[in-house]
Amino acid sequence: MAHEEKIIDPITGAETTGHVWDETIREFNNPLPRWWLWAFYGTIIFTVVYFIMYPSWPTNLVEGGYMKGLKTITYKADSGEEVTTHWNTRALLAKAMQTDELELRRQEMVKTVAATSIDEIAADSDKSQFVLAYGKGIFGDYCAACHQAGGQGVIGHYPNLIDDAWLWGGDAADIETTIRKGRKGNMPAHSSSLSKTEITQVANYVLSLSGEQVSSADAEAGKGVFNTKGCSGCHTPTGVGMKALGSANLTDKIWTQAKVPSATDAAAKVAAVSAIVSGGIQREMPAWESRLSDDEIKVLVRYIKLLAQ
Amino acid sequence: MAHSATAPMEQYNYDIVKKFALITLFWGIAGMSAGVYIASELAWPFLNWDIAQITFGRLRPLHTSGVIFGFGGNALFATSFYVVQRTCQTRLWGGRLPDFIFYGWNAALLIAGVGYLMGITQGREYAEPEWYVDLMIVVVWVVYFLVYTMTLLKRNQPHIYVANWFFMSFILATALLHIFNNLAMPVSLFGAKSYSLFSGAQDAMTQWWYGHNAVGFFLTAAFLGMMYYFVPKQAGRPVYSYRLSIVHFWALSFMYMWVGTHHLHWTAIPDWTSSLAAAFSILLLMPSWGGMINGIMTLSGAWDKLRSDPIMMFLITSLSFYGMSTFEGPMMALKSVNALSHYTDWTVGHVHSGALGWVAMVSFGSLYHMIPKLWGTKMWSQKLIYIHFFFATIGILLYITALWVSGIGQGLMLRAFDQYGNLKYSFIETVVFMHGPLVARAVAGMFFVSGLLLMVYNIWKTIANAQEASDTTIASANA
Repeated sequence: MAHEEKIIDPITGAETTGHVWDETIREFNNPLPRWWLWAFYGTIIFTVVYFIMYPSWPTNLVEGGYMKGLKTITYKADSGEEVTTHWNTRALLAKAMQTDELELRRQEMVKTVAATSIDEIAADSDKSQFVLAYGKGIFGDYCAACHQAGGQGVIGHYPNLIDDAWLWGGDAADIETTIRKGRKGNMPAHSSSLSKTEITQVANYVLSLSGEQVSSADAEAGKGVFNTKGCSGCHTPTGVGMKALGSANLTDKIWTQAKVPSATDAAAKVAAVSAIVSGGIQREMPAWESRLSDDEIKVLVRYIKLLAQ
Repeated sequence: MAHSATAPMEQYNYDIVKKFALITLFWGIAGMSAGVYIASELAWPFLNWDIAQITFGRLRPLHTSGVIFGFGGNALFATSFYVVQRTCQTRLWGGRLPDFIFYGWNAALLIAGVGYLMGITQGREYAEPEWYVDLMIVVVWVVYFLVYTMTLLKRNQPHIYVANWFFMSFILATALLHIFNNLAMPVSLFGAKSYSLFSGAQDAMTQWWYGHNAVGFFLTAAFLGMMYYFVPKQAGRPVYSYRLSIVHFWALSFMYMWVGTHHLHWTAIPDWTSSLAAAFSILLLMPSWGGMINGIMTLSGAWDKLRSDPIMMFLITSLSFYGMSTFEGPMMALKSVNALSHYTDWTVGHVHSGALGWVAMVSFGSLYHMIPKLWGTKMWSQKLIYIHFFFATIGILLYITALWVSGIGQGLMLRAFDQYGNLKYSFIETVVFMHGPLVARAVAGMFFVSGLLLMVYNIWKTIANAQEASDTTIASANA
């Protein structure tokens, strides 16, 4: 049988095993390449050392159920006492948080800044730069998805944070409450309680409050609707809004919901306001108390105040 | 040599190999096009068109299942059935059973794929199909095991060729992985939803034991089986070293099973599982390279073929990418490197240097070798094979490079601190940075799919010509 015949290859001089498959497939019996074998041994040595240094094999011979390894980490436990333990990721993190120079400096800055008033921070360039740098990350990760990276918001959806208008108050304490507890904005729809004409009239009146050029007859009629059909209850008779309810000030030229700034003519402006009167508004900002730390919230408040300045 | 009296066309069951070879091309185009589309969605999000069924989350499993189990799986059925018959010199066992495998496997894939679009998934990466599809796959796989083993048992050769060892370990390991990872309790007999038997850290570790060994046995061992037949056959040279094949086969089979947990570094798993997996990943490097060496060195004495034979170019390039990604893999499995690479596109790039560079390239080379033999003809155009090779290679290189930039760049940005020790970048800034590389990646995918379309055209012309030739022969015989 030909398939047990060992052949010496004329090109390489190597000998085949004598096996033949599918008429032409043969195998040389070349030895393992030396460099390959030594590299393999090398990885085995690496692995054994690794096993000795770090937690590795599970075994009931050791307390805890696995080989702990020789490498140790010393760090301060929550109780304040020094603890030395075998290498593990939790201790590694704890130690880094306790010893890394940059991290220590950061922690100290956070504490200082959280306890410093906004005016003092604004006057101190090192502190204000720290707040801007630290806040950029938190704001970018948690706030910017709605309020946009620069805090300018989106008209019709998310309030602008860098103008002077604050629906729920712009003091540090107000902003902190907003971030901690979240806010629920609610303006009822008036499509059933007001006629189409009344809606148009009140829209004209609302626009007139901030000095927009509108039909004065409609605005005059709208004033009556505004004061008798429920609008003034939240927006107050003068239209300046109420912080406690988050009702908008209608007398400034700032629009958070009605797309007035992008409207090109008077009719479009009236239509933009009418849409809000008619459909009402339901919106919510989530509460961040459980997701951000106290320090993070405090620095974030200062960041937002700095942005708005 | 034990020559058979009959021609291979009659001696072997080529019909089933043809079916699997053709459906491989179908799944290749479907799966890779889905990949290009979701890559484009990442680069240009408007392509979601606000249609839930075509968003990234729904199409992504269609892409991965389509290429791994559709393209890769069918290519493995085709080549394993071709190789086992030819190296055992016997016809495939089981009568119509191979046909059952063909229809069962592809029906399972289709049902799973439609389910993904409807949002039906187990949420286990690479094991997304729900329980009823998993059961179908189990039945198909047991039949596959039977057909393959029985064919081996009735071989007309004293020895079992190395390619068959690899196919065998792939069949056994895949059965083990699939069954244990998918242990689940259906909510109801007529509902799609099921709950896994595992939970928490055990669940994650079971999933990645499966996930990484799908890479190890499905996408590596089995394709090494393919390589061990088609490289020496195409080169016309003996396999470089029988001894090396034994050592790296057993080392690979033994070590892969340990490394899955390296996908979970720095998470809520016990530290010892993490370092155990990292160390075994380093141990895997040389056994993996053993396969690469054995393949590439098989060409010694026929190096000129790298210039003249485009099929050889496919096969040898695939081995080079195999070597590259099996070096990159152990490095990324080290905790310190993983801290940078994990959750970034670097991982995605790594997977694709294996999936496109190794799995797809070795399959293309093997199909180009096998298909003309199945139809008793020659490839319609050698030149098109060349052009396909360059499209594919440019595509892969661009793909990997783009995702190195994207992944390493994002990884560095996410760990960058300013002078105060604050994180320097918000997440969205890293996404903005990634836009350019993500565009390049989508273009790279388009290159790769275009190459595949050339292949399909070339094969279609090849088969049409073969059909015409056989019609003429019959006509002249009748005249």
